[in-house]
Amino acid sequence: MFRLLAAAAILACAAPAAAAPLTFAFTGIETPKGAILMSVYDSEEAFDRGGKPLVSQMVAVAGTSVEIVADLPPGRYAVKAFHDIDGDGKMGTNPFGIPLEPFAFSNDAVGDMGPAKWTAAAFDFDAATPRHAIKIR
Amino acid sequence: MLNRRTFLSHAGLATAALAIPEALRAGSGPADWRLALADVPGDIATRRLRRVHGRAPAALKGTLYRNGPARFRRGGSASGHWFDGDGMIRAWEIDDGDARLAARFVDTPKRRLEEARGAMVVPGFGTPAGPDVPVSSSDDTNAANTSVMMAGGKLLALWEAGSATEVDPRTLATLGQKSFSPELKHMPFLAHPRIEPDGRIWNLGLSGRSALVWRLSASGALEASQIVPLPRASYMHDFTATARHLVIVLQPWLQDRMGLPYVDSLTWRPERGTQVMVIDKADLTRSRIFELPAFAFFHLGDAWEEADGTIRFDGCLEADPSFGSTAARAMVAGVHIDTPHPALTMIALHPGGRATLTSSGIMAEFPRCDPRQAGLPRTRTVHVGGYIKGAPFAHAVGVWDWAKERDDAYDFGARQLVEEFVPHDRWLVGTTINLDARATELHVLDAANVARGPLVTWRANVALPYGFHGNFVSA
Ligand SMILES: [Fe+2]
Repeated sequence: MFRLLAAAAILACAAPAAAAPLTFAFTGIETPKGAILMSVYDSEEAFDRGGKPLVSQMVAVAGTSVEIVADLPPGRYAVKAFHDIDGDGKMGTNPFGIPLEPFAFSNDAVGDMGPAKWTAAAFDFDAATPRHAIKIR
Repeated sequence: MLNRRTFLSHAGLATAALAIPEALRAGSGPADWRLALADVPGDIATRRLRRVHGRAPAALKGTLYRNGPARFRRGGSASGHWFDGDGMIRAWEIDDGDARLAARFVDTPKRRLEEARGAMVVPGFGTPAGPDVPVSSSDDTNAANTSVMMAGGKLLALWEAGSATEVDPRTLATLGQKSFSPELKHMPFLAHPRIEPDGRIWNLGLSGRSALVWRLSASGALEASQIVPLPRASYMHDFTATARHLVIVLQPWLQDRMGLPYVDSLTWRPERGTQVMVIDKADLTRSRIFELPAFAFFHLGDAWEEADGTIRFDGCLEADPSFGSTAARAMVAGVHIDTPHPALTMIALHPGGRATLTSSGIMAEFPRCDPRQAGLPRTRTVHVGGYIKGAPFAHAVGVWDWAKERDDAYDFGARQLVEEFVPHDRWLVGTTINLDARATELHVLDAANVARGPLVTWRANVALPYGFHGNFVSA
């Protein structure tokens, strides 16, 4: 019995802290239709080199702002988001790959003719900072 | 994909500043030519020009619209290249023997940001990016400063690596960047479209080894667009066309790395020679490649084909691209660097696959051809020339005749900088910067007797910087 309790205690320490709600507040939406598609990453490798996001969420757009709540354990994250105005589920680009739908990154990070990098977009989430504002443009 | 001029990386910042040695800055000889790169503080309200001599042809009525960079410096910072100043549209209106000038800056996102920051921070052809400049497409860096044409009742202020910008031809007010279709927003549109005699417009937009071929109606509506792969990522400012073919000249000034500013991503590789790609206008998948010795160039004349299939066109060919890579940067700092002058040269592409170069023997730039013969056999090429050692810019205008091998030219002299002249009907219309009067002049010459000099000259009460290209629009 004692051994079992000890093992449980060790497991509790090793397990990630409990997930908590993090609200992403998107503003600056100019076309009130379609949806905001948001992907949350928890590693530089995945964010900068086209890896898989930790979680992706989509919320329909009706006005000029949208809130998306993700349940995440405390940690360091970065977000890519775009406004899927035409509802095709993809970021629209012209034939040379230039984005044609509004997009944004966490921290309102700016890319140089390409997506923003993890170093500019990464932020720390804990219970004291349950809200992250992002301006879509 | 995003490897055209505006691929930006902060890594480029360290190498971006152009160092001008003090010895060069001191220069040798008069440097009055710097007036050609002086800043214009703001828009120029409509004003009547003073007639200096001669008389305007009664039948000549219309407006010479011209474009060129007119603001290079803000708050102690400067553009890193002549090609990166803010575009200003000049309207030179001729009516009933009188002439008027109005000029207005194109209201671009680049100019707005730089006005707000009080500094030249937007990256360009030879200008590095300042800190925290948001660039989501090359149109955020669009200087709209290279040429201007009329299509569908609107002026289009043309650049090279981004969209055309619509401008009201009457007020010169900026209406916004033009997208010919929603899917083609922010696609580049070269400043040198080729226009068939019936008005149909062909143009290219370039990114690395891809070209978008634009086909527009005479009224500027999109008829078709198609991506065409190119054999190399060559710097290209201009292309040409016959009635049936697009002719794409791929100089060995190649983009072989990412870098900033854009011009620093190009390497001169003369050992690779120059290639010419000929594409069938009726089927853009059908093409041929011709090989030529290496040359650099900015501008070509209209092309035509002969009965046996030979394609001919002329161009202003340079031995190397050092004007664009070095001299045109130093000019903004008031420094002249002697680089090879462009030689007017005929290029022939023979049906058997052989290609040849024939020099006219004259140095020339800004080649223009009669628009009524675009794509058809012709012998004459309007050009500027009369270069002087030790200073940039042309001093003469001429018409080279390839059949007579003769140049009918007029030299304005060392105290006038000659800008592009455009052929219109029986005349040539163009401007010069008079260095003594410190004023820009408007001239009309007889296209059949250029050597006689201007039929009429008017003078503005202001000097505008040396511009690039324009077009005459009949009233
Ligand atoms: Fe040009």
